[in-house]
Amino acid sequence: MEKAVHLSTKNGPKVPGEPTKTGTSMVDTAASAVQSFAPINQIHQHLCAFHFYAYDMTRQVEAHHFCGHINEDMRQCLIYDGPDANARLIGLEYIVTEKLFMTLPDDEKKLWHTHEWEVKGGFLFMPGVPEAIQRQDLEKVAKTYGKVYHFWQVDLGHQLPIGLPNIMMAVTRDGQLYPEMIKETEKQFGVSMDKERASRAYMKGPDHGIHPLANGGGKGLKLEVREVDIKPVESVPRVFV
Amino acid sequence: MASSDERPGAYPARNGAENQPPGDPETMKTVMIDKGAAMMQSLKPIKQMSLHLCSFACYGHDPSRQIEVNFYVHRLNQDFLQCAVYDSNSSKTHLIGVEYIVSERLFEALSPEEQKLWHSHDYEIQTGLLVTPRVPELVAKTELQNIAKTYGKFWCTWQTDRGDKLPLGAPSLMVSPQDVNMGKIKPGLLKKRDDEYGISTESLKASRVDIMGPERKNPMADYWVHHGKGLAVDIVETEMKKLAPFP
Repeated sequence: MEKAVHLSTKNGPKVPGEPTKTGTSMVDTAASAVQSFAPINQIHQHLCAFHFYAYDMTRQVEAHHFCGHINEDMRQCLIYDGPDANARLIGLEYIVTEKLFMTLPDDEKKLWHTHEWEVKGGFLFMPGVPEAIQRQDLEKVAKTYGKVYHFWQVDLGHQLPIGLPNIMMAVTRDGQLYPEMIKETEKQFGVSMDKERASRAYMKGPDHGIHPLANGGGKGLKLEVREVDIKPVESVPRVFV
Repeated sequence: MASSDERPGAYPARNGAENQPPGDPETMKTVMIDKGAAMMQSLKPIKQMSLHLCSFACYGHDPSRQIEVNFYVHRLNQDFLQCAVYDSNSSKTHLIGVEYIVSERLFEALSPEEQKLWHSHDYEIQTGLLVTPRVPELVAKTELQNIAKTYGKFWCTWQTDRGDKLPLGAPSLMVSPQDVNMGKIKPGLLKKRDDEYGISTESLKASRVDIMGPERKNPMADYWVHHGKGLAVDIVETEMKKLAPFP
């Protein structure tokens, strides 16, 4: 079998297109001065972690999460392929406490993954925040479950977000993540995951243990598209705009 | 095992405030940790979103189901935009998906199979459905003219309109309002949006008569209109290719 190779998502192909015209960017400048961005202003936190495809662990992506709390039990995150202004929006993640996770129907639980090892192993971190402060929040994250979709396969060098969404999964034990990918991230952000792992040894995962249906229930997951008949138009009353 | 066009299995009945996900209010400790962290982090990518658009979208497997959508847009270049999509413009809102927008030029270079997943924007702009809250029409005109010629791809991951308290099931491919029966936005939904924003969609139409769509509207876009078939998404189980045991 061919040795699996990590395809770095850094310095990938640029998004095709002409530079933004002045007339266009002026609208955006005006808009950003007068419009309300309340939903975006809720985003308070940047987390860096790694995801792999739910049907293919050999394809791994560094994922930058920008998260806001909906309430104490739930966060919603935008996922980018980097921390900079030109980063591509590649997906999103929802994070819930065990309390909320346990209310999900069984088939739904399979689409969610655990965060325990990502956090305890040191793989998930908050760039720029001192470790002692990070831990105050990450000890909560260790007990949560997440549901991630990626829409842009940057690891394949796609210039545009083509294809279907992908469910992603997260690391659950050592030996799953590429050491070279980890080293690259550690170097870029000046972190040491081994060192942090020792400091996080006290943290606990979900109170009831990792649910057996989470993480795909041990199966891979893939998305497919299917054509369906649209309801006959006669059944929809004529409405006018 | 999960499909965008299926109602998910039995789920606890809604209680508490309508539209609010279950969960406790944020504790003061959480708020303080969040604020502390936010001061130390630059959050650069999200600061690039510089435009708010409000419009409507329909479910690709059932266009009679329509929702108000709020896009927060980051224009990467003249041909490409990436947007975070929420179901309202308030701070207590749900992140319901992501939309990508490409120029006609980029769209024409996509394969026909890929083009099926995209929708056009000219109708919703020409009819005043898509608005730029607080930005006068005269100021917004250039962007509206740009976007009217584009195509979008919108994945919705949280069906809040059917009362889902948490994001359940498979993502839905969404489509745009179109000039056919099922693609026209229900008056009640439109009025609610217009009242909330203090605008009149009807009166915007007049200022947009000269806004043109793509040079040549590609028949693979808005697939449901031309082919009478919607697109649903299924999640299926398969074997995972592994490097180590999982989980």
